[in-house]
Amino acid sequence: MTARRTEIVYRICWTIALLLLAVPFIFPFLWMISGGFKSTTEIFGAPTLIPRVWRFENFVEVFTYQPFARQYFNSLYIAATVTVLTLFIASLAGYALARIRFAGAGLLMLFLVMALMVPEEVTIIPNFFLIRAMGLIDTHWPLILLPVFGPQGVVATFLMRQFFLALPKELEDAGKMDGLSRFGVWLKIALPMSRPALAAVAIITFLHSWNLFLEPLIFLSSLEKFTLPLALSNFNDSYGLPLWNLQLAATSLAVVPILIIYLIAQRQIIESFALSGVKG
Amino acid sequence: MTKVLLKGIRKKFGAVEIIRGVDLDIEDGEFVVFVGPSGCGKSTLLRLISGLEHISGGELHIGGQLVNEVPASRRGVAMVFQSYALYPHLTVRDNMGFGLKVRKVPASERARRVSEAAATLKLEPLLDRFPRQLSGGQRQRVAIGRAIVGNPDVFLFDEPLSNLDAELRVHMRSEIAALHQRLSTTMIYVTHDQIEAMTLADKIVVLRDGRVEQVGTPRDLYDSPRTIFVAQFIGSPKMNILPLADGGPIAPGASVPATAISVGIRPEHLSLGKSSNSTLRGKVRLAEYTGAVTLLHVELDGGQTCLVIQNQGPAPETGAEVSLQADPGRLHFFDREGQAV
Amino acid sequence: MAGSPSRDNAAHSARAPWLTLKTREMLEAWLFVSPTFIGFLIFFLGPLVAIFYYSTTEWNLLSQQATFVGLRNFENALLENPDFWHVVRNSVIFALGLVPLNMALALSLALALSRPFFGVVFFRTVFFAPVVTSAIAWAIVWKFMLQGQGGAVNQMLAWIGIDGPNWLREPNWAMAAVIVTRVIKMVGLNMILYIAALQSIPRDYEEAATLEGASRWQVFRMITWPLLAPTTLVIMVLTTIGSFKVFDHIYQMTGGGPENGTLVLAFYIYQQGFKFFNVGYAAALALIMFAIVMVLTLAQVMLRRRDME
Repeated sequence: MTARRTEIVYRICWTIALLLLAVPFIFPFLWMISGGFKSTTEIFGAPTLIPRVWRFENFVEVFTYQPFARQYFNSLYIAATVTVLTLFIASLAGYALARIRFAGAGLLMLFLVMALMVPEEVTIIPNFFLIRAMGLIDTHWPLILLPVFGPQGVVATFLMRQFFLALPKELEDAGKMDGLSRFGVWLKIALPMSRPALAAVAIITFLHSWNLFLEPLIFLSSLEKFTLPLALSNFNDSYGLPLWNLQLAATSLAVVPILIIYLIAQRQIIESFALSGVKG
Repeated sequence: MTKVLLKGIRKKFGAVEIIRGVDLDIEDGEFVVFVGPSGCGKSTLLRLISGLEHISGGELHIGGQLVNEVPASRRGVAMVFQSYALYPHLTVRDNMGFGLKVRKVPASERARRVSEAAATLKLEPLLDRFPRQLSGGQRQRVAIGRAIVGNPDVFLFDEPLSNLDAELRVHMRSEIAALHQRLSTTMIYVTHDQIEAMTLADKIVVLRDGRVEQVGTPRDLYDSPRTIFVAQFIGSPKMNILPLADGGPIAPGASVPATAISVGIRPEHLSLGKSSNSTLRGKVRLAEYTGAVTLLHVELDGGQTCLVIQNQGPAPETGAEVSLQADPGRLHFFDREGQAV
Repeated sequence: MAGSPSRDNAAHSARAPWLTLKTREMLEAWLFVSPTFIGFLIFFLGPLVAIFYYSTTEWNLLSQQATFVGLRNFENALLENPDFWHVVRNSVIFALGLVPLNMALALSLALALSRPFFGVVFFRTVFFAPVVTSAIAWAIVWKFMLQGQGGAVNQMLAWIGIDGPNWLREPNWAMAAVIVTRVIKMVGLNMILYIAALQSIPRDYEEAATLEGASRWQVFRMITWPLLAPTTLVIMVLTTIGSFKVFDHIYQMTGGGPENGTLVLAFYIYQQGFKFFNVGYAAALALIMFAIVMVLTLAQVMLRRRDME
């Protein structure tokens, strides 16, 4: 066999192995969508990928079983708010940490690294009492405040700092010579050049908030305040057993839009995660 | 009148002192060049004048006013950066008008001043392009244009030509000289290239380890360097420094000061001579023919290498024995501390 | 000079002589970091201090009565309550199963997908897709597929003649199922970290080694793997910490069951704190978890440092 043919055989073997390996990564999504269209009887019968009867009513009942539209909106607006706030606060702090020599900067960095090391499960108990003392139980405030100021916000700050460090400093000097204040340099020069970093932070922050579970579980009790993950875990019958078809239909509604955005922007999204992971 | 006056200027970064007390008097309309090897503090000194760095000690006066605590943008200075520092997200026009916009100059006035500056620098066809669409030379010109638009009292240049190729550098050098002629504004220019310094400057400031080594006109520095450092820094190829003990009297008839321990002679002031009236003898190790002249590397009998510029006649072969003759009026004597005597 | 940006403010500096440019810059910096800093004090440093206090009290969430009990809660966890050691054992098994599997798979996938070839973007997209999916959604679907009767997984196993167990009803199978589905969910993240690291290794090394006659395996063993060491360390630390923090996945798939077979530390803390309202005990557990995570991180970092020397 020539080297070239060995190479081709090698490639084909690899590709087949990868295709087999890809099954448990793709199949759950297909099974989720298919299950969402099945009737209760079919759910518990012999499983097929294509439903024998397409039951579109499931997708209507999702909205009557609990205030699903409202819950969907909650997730959207909370994730958007968290993202905007994080972008603002993290890029401000990241800029100062990257560019200004000031007393206390080293100590602050040390604190922030510490915040990254401590699991959220550790601080959630005192935070619960804090939020309760503020009278914010069963509101969306804790779902906004805790991620913005928690480890996720710290990751965003470090990402922004890292990016600002790599920007050419002379541009900012030029801005200062042109009469911009510190804030002006940040807003008009540093930020416009940081679009890639801002996009990365926005992506990981949005997804983190969108998928957040522990905080909603602890802080929310009214159905119409629920966010999507909490709502999804709540499709049970009166015995606490899952209403599979409704649950899968709702899950599809929650997952598929994100998946479509992911397929369109996969490169950007994967890069964002790579960037934030390297920081850790 | 825009004089720039530095009194005992110091700058510390943490415990390290980069600028160790600089006194300098820059006249209105003067073109002053800061030169020195890398790390000598020349760029830091410029940034102290610009206001981009805080002054740790001493006083800086611009136009008769103490400006130590005046922010960069209010000192009446404009800066041209080494990397040009053009905003990548703005067009050439917006880049040039940015400072005026920040200072809230009305749009019509702004447009007038941008187009004036663009006309001066022949930038009109480029006004709507983005920096990434420009060549290095064009970017450089836009950077200068941006400085001009602000109508500053003092121009600061931080190694503005070092990112350009050799040919363009010569061209831009002449443009900057022409600009100074036309505007006759005070200009302070930092470079490590002594040719740039010699050709552009009214006054050269040689810096070394955060101190001023010598200030003078290009001719002053070339003809009467005050230290070995300046002697070797100004002029290319470098001045030869030979120990007096070994070399003896290089040129018969020159009077040698009592405290001198070494003698300096520029390669262009040495010539191949008859052996009878010289004590400098050696072997040619390398002859570099550059067209106009030939640069000879001669290994003296004492062991040192001495450079000689030969501008006429056939060059000797490598390995040939030669005698060197110095122009007695062009010798520089230095004492133990490296000071000229 | 007409229209020049004049030096209008010698007055400016005279007005507030203490406000030098340097002081001003310092104030600006603190203004920039103040939202982060204040939030950090309120929602991180404060709670971190508070939890030490909580852990020394017996505090019932409903009665709001806090009594100081010293180290009673820690004694209870470490010496008396058999649940605690069971939970720690579960967490350790979970980590020991998840971390090597995740890292080996991530590295293999990265090695296969770090070079451009036909289909590489497709595969990367596929293997990363679960990462962007909510853990709850992922757990819902897998729970559905892992049912004993009529579950898709057992159906497929039946095709090749295997009679699959009732996965989530038997403690050991449940643990295995939770580990494997969690690996599938998260392996894409480590994969792309490895890919990024692999792509930053200059090809020259590998080409030089190949010219000297090294086989593929030798190239990997002697060049690629040592150069990946820093990345491997980061991934190992992150994955280990992540495995101790796993909560939503377990909550949705098994609820800690069956027979507490998948009751891990993070879930136990949640149970004690927010279901049984043993706040003091939960606080002590949280501190123990913090200590475990710290020790593991430091141990791995030190181990690696010793290796490098």
